[in-house]
Amino acid sequence: MRLLALVWPDLRLPEAETAPWEPMLDRLDDLSPRVEPVATGVALVDVTGLGPLLGEERRIAARAVALCREVSALPVRVGAGENRWLAVLAARLAHPERPDAPAAFRALDRRELADLPLDLLPADPATSQRFALFGLTAMGQLAALPRSAVGGQFGAVGERLQLLARGDDPRPLAPRRRPARQVRTIVFDPPLEGVGAIALALRRACAELCDVLRTRHLAPGRAALRLQLEDAPAFGVQLAFPTPALEPDWIARLLLGRLEQAARARRLGEVEEPRVGSIGLVFDRLADPASRQLPAFEAQAARWEELRWSLERLAARFGEGRLWRAVHDRPTASLAERRTRLVDIGPSAS
Amino acid sequence: MVQTDRSRPVQPLPELLEALRDRGLRRGVEPSGPVPPRPALPTGQPDLDRALGTGGWPRGALALLDAPTGSGATSLALGTLAACQASGGQVAYLDPSGSLDPATASGLGVDLAWLLVVRPAHAAEAVELAGWLAREGRIDAMVLDLADTLLPRGLDRLADLLVRSGGVTLLLAAAGRESAGRLAGVRVALRRQAWLAVGRDLVGQRVEATVTRQRWALAGSRAELDLYFAEGRRTDTLLRAAAQPLAASAMAGATLEPPSLAVVGA
Repeated sequence: MRLLALVWPDLRLPEAETAPWEPMLDRLDDLSPRVEPVATGVALVDVTGLGPLLGEERRIAARAVALCREVSALPVRVGAGENRWLAVLAARLAHPERPDAPAAFRALDRRELADLPLDLLPADPATSQRFALFGLTAMGQLAALPRSAVGGQFGAVGERLQLLARGDDPRPLAPRRRPARQVRTIVFDPPLEGVGAIALALRRACAELCDVLRTRHLAPGRAALRLQLEDAPAFGVQLAFPTPALEPDWIARLLLGRLEQAARARRLGEVEEPRVGSIGLVFDRLADPASRQLPAFEAQAARWEELRWSLERLAARFGEGRLWRAVHDRPTASLAERRTRLVDIGPSAS
Repeated sequence: MVQTDRSRPVQPLPELLEALRDRGLRRGVEPSGPVPPRPALPTGQPDLDRALGTGGWPRGALALLDAPTGSGATSLALGTLAACQASGGQVAYLDPSGSLDPATASGLGVDLAWLLVVRPAHAAEAVELAGWLAREGRIDAMVLDLADTLLPRGLDRLADLLVRSGGVTLLLAAAGRESAGRLAGVRVALRRQAWLAVGRDLVGQRVEATVTRQRWALAGSRAELDLYFAEGRRTDTLLRAAAQPLAASAMAGATLEPPSLAVVGA
């Protein structure tokens, strides 16, 4: 396994502005699907197998830095190693080649650890003091001792530190998980008059959620909208998309169309212009938009998927029962006209 | 003053048009300049492709199939959809009257899996839906089958949208042919000449197609089309074999007598 550790010293300061942190992690998703935020300002990226695609490790690190600098130009130290300890230590030891360089890079091999001072190990002050009492000053000295002797003198902590001094780190990378859903709530104060008045706010909420998901290379497969009314019970609508899509304008328009239909069905019209206190918009069934490449194996399948979006809009405009597809489900029927039939493919059918 | 040579015989108009077309002349274009071919969709009938002068239905055209009921307009339209699908295109059939028979469409080569059937509530909505689909630009060819209903408003707008989107719409309007013909960019008149029969079974019809209007090329050409019924299409290959003397001699060793194509006067 090959890991990159990226450390932004300016983000590690207590008073640091941490707003760019999450967007920088999102950018790193472009490089690898396995990114672990260790702490604010420290990220680990699994770059195993990227060599044939992107070149040597220094170039991969340069790409990671370039991606993050799209968000913020903070100075960064990058280390490369075969496990998280070596990668993070390499980042700590990296020094910029010139004072004004925006980034520093260093790769560390376990054979280079022997000459490094023992102070670099993450040991508590008491253990460090005992190491000094025993005359241990370099990692190579600790690594060369028998494991049982280290365990007898320093306990489990000493054994773990000896593993690190030998360049071993059994801790696996824990990549951050994709969000299961994205939620946006907008409260109207004073409340809006009428269901149709939320169009602008709904369009803005859809655009914001789509922007968030776009940076993470995700797209929603379903949208749900819930309205809190002041003078009527809350109600909501759902909209499942034919393919995961990032089209905020049309998502908002289709949701609004469903909402007006639902309002008519619930006879909200009896209430003179219901007052909307807040709306809650949820995007879930998040998926990788790249999965849409699969229909490319058959040209018409891909074009049909594109067409499905148009058909959704068409159904919203003209109503249901307009869109059909013929299926050949009884090929052995004696009468030709009974071998095929039309099936409804409108949104209600799906 | 222009001097005319009265001694030269006047060339008949069809031959003159054919000669001009051979020289690459298109209406409204300088004959000397290079003429880029206009993108076109195949009609499914090579003879009609040639007669249209653009190699098929010109993209962006509203094409009227000017034919009395039963003269093969639906067969030609479905053949066009099949040819469009074969070239990877997306097709739709707008059917307000509910007259589309999927089995017939399948028999004429349409892949039902990728055929969108739209059933509007009435003819006016059909035209509006066609405009909607044209504006979306996802459909390459669609058939607007208005059958015997009166021609609704909005066809001029549909023609404008088609020009922008590059799709082709074939209009079947038996009742409103005259008024639709003025709006269509391409108008093809179909007249049955004869029935095609194998034994006592009618398998198709021979139709004369005349390009009476063509906005993007010279009009006036004619083509003779053999339009087979859905069931008759299956024997199409054998019928062609029977019609070709060479192919018939090649089948001399066969124990079954090849079917013979008979042309019965209409």
